[in-house]
Amino acid sequence: MAYIELTVWTRGIIMDKEGRDIVNSVAAAGRLEGRFAQAMENYVDNPDRTNAPTRKYCRVSDSVIENALTYENDQPNIVVLVEQTMVKGWDYMRGMPPGGTLVINTHYTPEYMIRFVPGSERLARLVCVDAAKIADHKWLYYRLGELGLDRLSTEGAAERNNAIAPDIAAPLIAAVVKTTGIVKIETIEPMIANKAAFRAALDQLHIMPLGAAVA
Amino acid sequence: MATAVAKKKKVRINGCVAAAQAAKYADVDVITAYPIRPYTATMMALAQMVANGELDAEYIVADSEHSQLSIAHGASSSGARVFTGSSGVGVQFAYELYSPISGTRMPVQMMIADRTLDPPGDFGSEHTDALSARDMGWLMGWSCDAQEAFDNHLLGFRIGEDRRVLLPQMVCQDGFFVSHITTDVELPDTGQVQEFLPPYTHPYPLDPRRPVSHGPQIMPEQGPPLQLERARAMEGAVPVIEQAHDEFARIFGRRYDPWLEEFMTDGADVVFFVQGAHAVTARYAIRHMRERGAKVGLVRLKTIRPYPTDRVKDALSKFKVVGVIETNLGLGSVSSGGVLYAEACAALYESPTRPLVVSFMAGMGGEAIVLKEFYWMTNKMLDAQKRGAIEKRTHWVGFEE
Repeated sequence: MAYIELTVWTRGIIMDKEGRDIVNSVAAAGRLEGRFAQAMENYVDNPDRTNAPTRKYCRVSDSVIENALTYENDQPNIVVLVEQTMVKGWDYMRGMPPGGTLVINTHYTPEYMIRFVPGSERLARLVCVDAAKIADHKWLYYRLGELGLDRLSTEGAAERNNAIAPDIAAPLIAAVVKTTGIVKIETIEPMIANKAAFRAALDQLHIMPLGAAVA
Repeated sequence: MATAVAKKKKVRINGCVAAAQAAKYADVDVITAYPIRPYTATMMALAQMVANGELDAEYIVADSEHSQLSIAHGASSSGARVFTGSSGVGVQFAYELYSPISGTRMPVQMMIADRTLDPPGDFGSEHTDALSARDMGWLMGWSCDAQEAFDNHLLGFRIGEDRRVLLPQMVCQDGFFVSHITTDVELPDTGQVQEFLPPYTHPYPLDPRRPVSHGPQIMPEQGPPLQLERARAMEGAVPVIEQAHDEFARIFGRRYDPWLEEFMTDGADVVFFVQGAHAVTARYAIRHMRERGAKVGLVRLKTIRPYPTDRVKDALSKFKVVGVIETNLGLGSVSSGGVLYAEACAALYESPTRPLVVSFMAGMGGEAIVLKEFYWMTNKMLDAQKRGAIEKRTHWVGFEE
C-alpha cells in the first residue's frame, strides 16, 4: 500500500457534504496513522449545483505526495458512488488499475448492479451497501429547508453542521475502510458522528469478489 | 474592534480560508466583497466569521468589483483597515481604482487568488490578472502555500500601514494550487498578532472635525511631485519590508527571506526562476534531478513589487542558465512569452557575469506543471549550458519535442 487514490462521485448540494466527509475523514485518518494524505474536491465541478455530479478526491501514501497540486485522481484504486443512479452515464472507472474496489450506495445487489459497471474486469470487488436505509436517511423532499440552510456549496466555507458523516456517509466510509483497509477502522471510527450506522454497515455489506488481482 | 481571543493552534485549511483567517486575526474594520472564483471561498469564509460573531467588521457586498474597490478606497480614506479581494477578470474590472488607491496612499489589502483571464477564462491559475496591475503602486508578491499566504497577509498590513510606506498591497496566491489545496497552517495566538500588528491609524483620515482633501483635481505642474512621492514610497518600502520580516520571525518563529527563496542552489549550474505554488512541485523535481546528477536548483521570487533588482542580479549571476517559469501571458513582449523574463534580464544587465536566460511558458490555463515537465525544462537548460547559447528565448512547454 504505497500510494492509493480514492475518488468519490456524488451529487451537488444534496449529497455534496457526504462526498466531502468521506474523503476528508479518510485523509485525516491516514495522517493520524502517520502517513501522507490529502483530500480535495474536483476544482471544476465546483461550485456545485443541485444534483449535478461532483467528484471528491483522497490520496493516501507512505511517502510524501509529490503530485499534490494535480487536479484529479488519474488512477483511482477505490471509487465510491454516493447515489446509485450514477452507476450509468459516467466513466467513473476511467484510469482504475487492476484490483480496484467500487462501492455503491444502493438497495440493489452487486449481482444486479455489475451489469451497469463499465470496465468491471478491473475490479477486485464490487461492494453494495444500503447506506440510506442503514443511516435512516430522510431523502431530499423531507430535508430541502435544512439543506438550503446548511449547505453553502463547497466554496471553502464550512458547513453549519460540523459533524462528520452524520448521515449516509457513515455506512459508505465503513464499506471503504472494511473492504480496502485504506485506513484502520479504529482510526477512523472516532471521527464519525453516526457511529451506529458506521458499525451496522460493517456487518451489512454486500461484497462481490471479482477476478482482478492487484497489479 | 474586538476579535475573539485565540490560542496558537494547528489547522488544516486551504489558501482561501487562510487569507480569511489572516483578515480576522488582523481585526479588519471593513470587508468589501464581490464573488468570483476562486476568491469566493475567502469572502464566504469571512461572511461566516462575521455572522458567527467571530469578527466585528462591516461586511459590504458590492454590485461589482469596480464598486468593491471604490468602497474599499472610501473606507480606507476614513481610516479603516480594509480587506478585499478578487480573481481573474474581477481584478481587471476594478482596474481604474488601483492607481487612485495607491495615489492617495491608502493601505487597502487585496487578496488575489489567480485565475486566467478570458480566454481561456477557466478556473485555473495564471498570474496575468494581478501582474497586469504590477505598476500601479501596490506592493505585490506570491505565496506558495496556505501558511505562507496567511503570513503574507499579516506582513502586508504591517508593511503597507507603516507611515514610511502607506501603500496598498496585493497579496497573491495561485488559484487552486494554493487557494483550494489544504495544508497544515499554524494559526497564531491573538497576542502575537497584536504585538506584530498594532492598531491602524491613518495620519490624515477623512473626518468632518478635521477637514482634509484627498485626491483633488490638480494642475499638471502639481503632478510630478505626487508621482515622485509615490515612487519614493515604493523604494522606501524596501527597508520596512526587511524589518517587518525580522519582526515576524521574532514573534512567530517563522523566518522568510522577503525577496527570494533559494532551493538547492549550492553548486547549481542551472536554476528555475519562478513565483508562486509551482515551486512546490519544482522542489520535488529538483531533488530527483539532483539524484540523477543534474546540477539544478530553484530561485523563487517572493516579492515582485518593489522588485528586488540587486538581489535578483546577485542571486542569478551565480548560475550558467536561468529558466524563467512564467505562468503569465505577455503577448508581444520582449521574449514573446511572459512578463517575468524581461525584468529578470533587466536586473541581470549590470552583472559582469550574466547567465543565459530562457523563458518557459508553463502552467498556462492553470494546468499543473508536472514532474516530467520540470525534467524537460531542466534538460533544455542543460542543453543551453552545453551549447553556450539558448535554443530560443521562449519555449511553450508541452508543445515542443
